[in-house]
Amino acid sequence: MTNHWNDIANSDCVFIIGGNPAENHPAAFGHITKAKERGGKLIVVDPRFSRSAAKADVYAPMRSGTDVAFIGGMIKYVIDDMLANPQNYNMVYLKEYTNASYLVNPAFKGPADLDGLFSGYDASKRSYDKSTWSYQVDDKGIPKKDMTLSDPNCVFQLLKKQYARYTADKVSETCGTPKDKFLEVCRAFADTGAPGKAGTILYAMGTTQHTNGSQVCSSYCVLQLLLANIGVCGGGVNAARGESNVQGATDHALLFHLLPGYLERPLNTDETLQKYLDRSTPKWTDPKSANWVQNLPKYLVSMLKAWYGDAATKDNEFGYQYLPKGSDNYSFISLFHAMYDGIIKGLMVWGMNPAVGGPNANMTRKALEKLDWLVSVDLWHTETGNFWKRPRVNPADIKTEVFALPAAASFEKEGSVTNSSRWAQWRYKGADAPGVAKPDLDIINDLMIRIKKLYDADAAAPNRDAITRLTWDYGTHADPHKVAREINGYDLATGKLMVSFAALKSDGTTSCGNWLFSGSYTEAGNMMARRDLDDSPFNVGLYSKWAWSWPVNRRIVYNRASVDPNGNPWDSEHPVIKWDAAGAKWLGDIADGGYPPMAADAGKYPFIMTAEGVARLFTAALPNGPLLAKGMADGTFPEHYEPWESPVKNPLSGTQNDPCIKLWAGEMDFKGDSDKYPIVCTTYRIVEHWQAGQMTRNLPWSVELMPEMFIELSEELAAEKGIANEDMVVVETARGKVTAKALVTKRFKPFRMNGKVIHEIGMPWHWGYIGLSTGDSANVLTPNIGDANTMIPEYKAFLCNVRKA
Amino acid sequence: MAEKAILFDPTKCTACRGCQVACKQWNELEAVPTVNLGSYENPPDLSPNTYIKMRFKELEYDKSLEWLFTRRSCMHCTNAACVEVCPTGALSHHPLGFIDYNEDLCSGCGYCSQFCPFQVPRMSGSSITGIRKASKCLFCADRVTNNLIPACVKTCPPHALQFGDQDQMLLLGRQRVKELKAKYPDAYLYGEDELGGLHVMYVLPHKPTVHGLPADPRLPASTTVWQGILQPAGYVLAGLTVLGLGLNYLVARANVKSHGKG
Amino acid sequence: MKKTERVERYSVMARVFHWVHVTAFITLVVTGIFLYVPWIGAVAQDSWTRVIHRIGAVLFMGMPILFFLVRPRSAIETIKEGLTWGKEDFGWVAAAPRYYFLGDEAAMPPQGRVNSGQKLWFLLLMLTGPVFVITGILMWFFQDTLPSAVFQWSVFAHDVSFIATVCFFFVHIYLSVLHPLMSGVFSSMTNGKVTKEFAQAHYAKWYEEKAKEEKPSGGK
Repeated sequence: MTNHWNDIANSDCVFIIGGNPAENHPAAFGHITKAKERGGKLIVVDPRFSRSAAKADVYAPMRSGTDVAFIGGMIKYVIDDMLANPQNYNMVYLKEYTNASYLVNPAFKGPADLDGLFSGYDASKRSYDKSTWSYQVDDKGIPKKDMTLSDPNCVFQLLKKQYARYTADKVSETCGTPKDKFLEVCRAFADTGAPGKAGTILYAMGTTQHTNGSQVCSSYCVLQLLLANIGVCGGGVNAARGESNVQGATDHALLFHLLPGYLERPLNTDETLQKYLDRSTPKWTDPKSANWVQNLPKYLVSMLKAWYGDAATKDNEFGYQYLPKGSDNYSFISLFHAMYDGIIKGLMVWGMNPAVGGPNANMTRKALEKLDWLVSVDLWHTETGNFWKRPRVNPADIKTEVFALPAAASFEKEGSVTNSSRWAQWRYKGADAPGVAKPDLDIINDLMIRIKKLYDADAAAPNRDAITRLTWDYGTHADPHKVAREINGYDLATGKLMVSFAALKSDGTTSCGNWLFSGSYTEAGNMMARRDLDDSPFNVGLYSKWAWSWPVNRRIVYNRASVDPNGNPWDSEHPVIKWDAAGAKWLGDIADGGYPPMAADAGKYPFIMTAEGVARLFTAALPNGPLLAKGMADGTFPEHYEPWESPVKNPLSGTQNDPCIKLWAGEMDFKGDSDKYPIVCTTYRIVEHWQAGQMTRNLPWSVELMPEMFIELSEELAAEKGIANEDMVVVETARGKVTAKALVTKRFKPFRMNGKVIHEIGMPWHWGYIGLSTGDSANVLTPNIGDANTMIPEYKAFLCNVRKA
Repeated sequence: MAEKAILFDPTKCTACRGCQVACKQWNELEAVPTVNLGSYENPPDLSPNTYIKMRFKELEYDKSLEWLFTRRSCMHCTNAACVEVCPTGALSHHPLGFIDYNEDLCSGCGYCSQFCPFQVPRMSGSSITGIRKASKCLFCADRVTNNLIPACVKTCPPHALQFGDQDQMLLLGRQRVKELKAKYPDAYLYGEDELGGLHVMYVLPHKPTVHGLPADPRLPASTTVWQGILQPAGYVLAGLTVLGLGLNYLVARANVKSHGKG
Repeated sequence: MKKTERVERYSVMARVFHWVHVTAFITLVVTGIFLYVPWIGAVAQDSWTRVIHRIGAVLFMGMPILFFLVRPRSAIETIKEGLTWGKEDFGWVAAAPRYYFLGDEAAMPPQGRVNSGQKLWFLLLMLTGPVFVITGILMWFFQDTLPSAVFQWSVFAHDVSFIATVCFFFVHIYLSVLHPLMSGVFSSMTNGKVTKEFAQAHYAKWYEEKAKEEKPSGGK
């Protein structure tokens, strides 16, 4: 989240799309209710009338997978309205704080010119040569600008051109949204473009789990920047994270392509530390840009010092060579293909249940059979740990050796949990874990001690030093405080804990496990354990003394965009920060960089995390910097592409699917066509159950609330198929079939698109074959296809057929 | 002490049903074995193991759809039929306003369950042997008398349930109804006047019947006739009978003697 | 002291049935009264009164049925007797107040096997008994299947019967045990006999008929 949960209460308009907080983030709904009590509007856009939709002031249905078309239409609406009524918008913000005025390489061409493609596409590689996705620069390398926003090559004009095709009629034809409903959403949300007004976009997996999920996120950013909603109270682009600590998990890089703190991973080509730093450190010549990420060398070297201690010296590149280097994709689908193909022989599944949660579950389960060994670390017996006795298989045929390590639940261990607000909150142990269950930290500590012993004993072990020289001094029973302090970092000269990442150095004199968390555990104590409800000075719900928020306890990131170039808040009722000219300091939240306001001589542009210093409406491909600075894989602007399996031809261009998605061609990768499978299917969670289900399908009270796997379908489709409420039905895709109870509802309606009727059905994906309540897994149906940028599977839109069982 | 009340605002309820589970957890009630009943509702009904149940209703009108969520539980009436008819004093009016229930005293007669205008109390045990107990929402008496709020209110994330002094809740409810009137002309504070005032009030956007609530809940006529007329009449009749017989005894004894019988 | 001559009024069978029925009735009254009198209601906690009430109810229903099966003719006669009202009966009603208060026997017509007061008691039981049984069965077995209004009015009717029956029951006991004129009647339900004098005084018509019947047989 750019903002935080409590801040939603400040919003004039909460726009929920690709999410369903009433069901998946029930506690969050308290903040939404507060916003509504204060007169804020709630918009919900969802294929199905969800429990969130039930609370909406405006609800609009939208066919799954047409998010960019919908948001693109809104962007067009805003641009048109902005040109007609500029007084209703914050034009200073647009011109000064975004790259709207930046001039783009004239060679750049977009989907409006190239039938859905951007310039530089290579069909054989399914990727782009992004050399034209660049700015026009002056002799100092600073981008040229047109502050009147009228140059045909300026970002604003290109944006306008890009979305000129996204008319309300086209949106309605593509998304199946009634035009009046679409325009109602546009009007309600565009109202937040006025200075002093704020609208927030709250989203979740309905946004990301598409082949163009990353671009859907980008489209939110573009819309929010046009409306000047980033950085302000009650604004932002806010991802409601799907697990209590998934924010912490990504912050600390439980991801294949990053190091802790979202640092770039070393690639095969980064043979030396210097090469890695040269490639990954963004360079920018505009003196007004803080270009904060240029500090990357300090963070990387401090991280290496935390990992390797005295073994990390200037002479050995601070242990850089101990880091694994790789350029391959190790995301979920790739890993399971590698298992299926016999390349990966062993698997540790930690608090995860891919046999239920992964796409194309039949293949996922089959892939597990090919492993030599599998370790399942969990609170319960999971489907994954018990794949060898799943229905219709003979356990004797499966040779995989399976280990189950019982883990402690969150209430049975101490440590920090980082929520969607980026708040690291310290928790205490409430009870002992049952039996031999252990906290994860103890399990990994025990494991690592044994691994180190094995490596110590084996002089010929590959990359031996990476293991043997690793600092691992947490004791027999690892102390979470010690780990937290290591993450925070030390000044190695004094032995004192770091106060913030601003003081980290690249010369090896500081250590820091994760620069983003530097300041979370200082000499003053464990900041994450703070429980002070003081909300001074502005009483806008920042609660800056409650726990600790990364970075540097900043509650709303990009908050320098919440003030005008002189440092005065756009919204004087809900200021995030305010420049105190007399004291020459910022009041309120921790400002993004301590620089004076932008208009001052020493002032900087507000978006300190981009190289440009301004926010990107156009995602240029910069020559240096981390992966993202080098542009998105699939375009500079979000463009609508149909889901991989779609019942219609793309109404917006001749390019049917995202042109950069990786196509899998394994023996179990099946694609269904709309003749055989004409119905759109989507999957979701319900409030009564949790993820792959083990934590709730074993609890009698949760099972009582939702005892069975079910499928939701419209009354119209049910009538067409002769299905009555509570009938057992079979849903089939090219990959598998699911039998479950039919729930016939008014909350799904057929989409009428250009005269064509498209049905959509949906189902929860919580069930599996182990536990108190068992049922078919929805992911038996979902395809192995991922987002072009992140490879997150497209769980949210695929094709099926349905019949009475 | 001021009387307490729960205010339920279905326009804020997201039907997460945390209340159902919190209630079961605090009161240590077992889960009811059940199946999917073609809706999100479950368990099927109130029962000795279920004091609260949320009802779901899809309401379609004027081309728009609403999904109504209504709480079903004890309303803690001021004029409570259950207290009127309870023969053992197991059900009573607590000084804090709610209907207190002392399970130990319950004889299992089931009158509360049969006379409640909301059909709330449920009987556990066997009506054949007669060995059974009534059960219903206890207003978390053990919590509220110890300055804690009821478990359902405590857990409610969107603050659709609120708890406080009855007059405070009345004010809040009236205020909320006023706000809703613009969008819902039928908005109504259910429980302000019903049965002398309910200690669980609902802010209803629609007419009560749309939410599955009786439009004009009253004590059943049988309660009034029985408890108000017949029972007192019974005392009088029995009293007069005994009195008459005593009088007869005195008179007859004297007369029979003076007759010089024999 | 001359040995008093005694005449039999009730057979052993009749007396056994009577006392079993009385026991059932008192059991029902005692276990039912807790539902009526709030300040003793707490005694009924944990349903023990309800279990006993059910046993009492079975006996209460069972005894008349059994009696019908064992002595059908006698049962029918008894009913007939209760329903047959003659001059003596209306005379009894007119004379009863003076008779029972003042001991004025002059106006009291001679009575048959049972006097009109007993007939009234019997008729009341004929009325309230079925009410008890029917409403009782409804409440016992059908409370979950029938609308609650049925239960509610069943409770009411059960209660009406209860009040009427109990009041009359007081009168019945009083007259059987305590009333100065009636001393001597109680033995009719213990050893089955009353004195000749008592029979002559209270059931003159019956006594004469009985005497007539007995003479020839006695002469044999």
